[in-house]
Amino acid sequence: MAKYDYVEKAVKVTRREFLAILGVGAAFLFSGAALVSNVVFDRNKYIKMRAAGIYKDDEKSPKRQSHNNKGLNDMYARFAGEPLSPLAEELFHTHYIDRSKLL
Amino acid sequence: MVDVVDIVKAKLKDKKITVVAAPAPSVRVALGEEFGLAPGEIVTKQMYGACEEAGFKILDVNYAADHTILEEGMELIAKIRHYMLGEDAHGHHLGPVPQFTSCCPAWVRFVELYYPDLMPNLSSAKSPMMMAGALAKTYGAEDIWNVQPENMFVVGVMPCTAKKFEASRPEFNSAANYWKKKGRSADYPDVDVVLTTRDFARLFKELNIDITKVKPADEKDNPFAEYTGAGTIFGNTGGVMEAALRTAYFVITGEELGILDFKPVRGYEKGVKEASVTMKDAKTGKEITVNVAVVHNMKMNIRPLLEEIRAGKSPYHFIEVMNCPAGCINGGGQPINPMGTSWVDKWRAFLPWESKGGL
Repeated sequence: MAKYDYVEKAVKVTRREFLAILGVGAAFLFSGAALVSNVVFDRNKYIKMRAAGIYKDDEKSPKRQSHNNKGLNDMYARFAGEPLSPLAEELFHTHYIDRSKLL
Repeated sequence: MVDVVDIVKAKLKDKKITVVAAPAPSVRVALGEEFGLAPGEIVTKQMYGACEEAGFKILDVNYAADHTILEEGMELIAKIRHYMLGEDAHGHHLGPVPQFTSCCPAWVRFVELYYPDLMPNLSSAKSPMMMAGALAKTYGAEDIWNVQPENMFVVGVMPCTAKKFEASRPEFNSAANYWKKKGRSADYPDVDVVLTTRDFARLFKELNIDITKVKPADEKDNPFAEYTGAGTIFGNTGGVMEAALRTAYFVITGEELGILDFKPVRGYEKGVKEASVTMKDAKTGKEITVNVAVVHNMKMNIRPLLEEIRAGKSPYHFIEVMNCPAGCINGGGQPINPMGTSWVDKWRAFLPWESKGGL
């Protein structure tokens, strides 16, 4: 066989078959079957797992209410006074800016 | 483009600089995914350990979330006392009800852009990350770490890309202003850089730190690493609401809420979740009912509620809004899970050994 002879590949897909494969793929995408597969494979499971992890962290915490955080109460006692005190307003509160002219 | 990870690496190498990591609640249940653990695995201690090994000081945003609840909750309680119990406002400028949460930077920007007339309804409290920044460079610098605030570098670690924008807002330089009143002149932002959870994992990988192999740290003697269950649930939709109700109930009735799991605001099946809580004011003996709403997946759900408020027909007193579906745990900066929504990686979800969630 000469060096530059063209050899067909072993797997042959005719033009028609190629279009048919594309068609089936498009039908899968646009018919909503992909959405059904979302339910079957439960792709949102990782969101539920992360949410469950957060609630587990809450349940195993010895204290579960913000006002019982000792480090925080110490901070108020030694530094900011109490919530909404003038220093707390200055450091921990902010204001908002009308940005509707950017639209 | 400057890579934020490179900036943080350079600051960690600089021995003059105190680099503070402020990791958000949602980071600890997703960071493990980047190191082959299942989603939802709590890696707080491994994360602390990895931070120590990399040279970070730690100010947990869970602590700052508790802090936010005190500031934002007290604001809500002042409004409840003023509007529902007829108490004097004690000179505070109180906004109207319903009060919105202000933790989600995407939501705050949405209000500023599309509903500026409802800006007074937003809680004036900063988001937990910005509170952490302001606190680190004032109280933290002076009292906890004994360093110069100019030599501090606060790194927010967030499940969020919008937090990068929030940290860059020019009004967030309260710490610098605080120190200017005390005779210093330097100018710096409260939070210098924000890493997403993915950036954070990449930083550890570039420093050859594997959080699954690192020595876990307790941070028992670090007051900034102390947090309560209320601070940690901030990452879930309904979490800010639940945490605020726990504290509001205590402050108004004088006793702790009996059953802490507040189911009506949990879950992500419904776009808008409603609940009402009845409590008896300890001072006057009057019974009040607080109506609350929780909104996530903002694009689909928020506008009808806001139109209701504009029309003056809203039955609610407190509304929590998070932009992302299911809240921060599903934020834009979280690890891209192969069982999730990435088109490129979707085929991996079909593989039996991948369905556990490791990458």
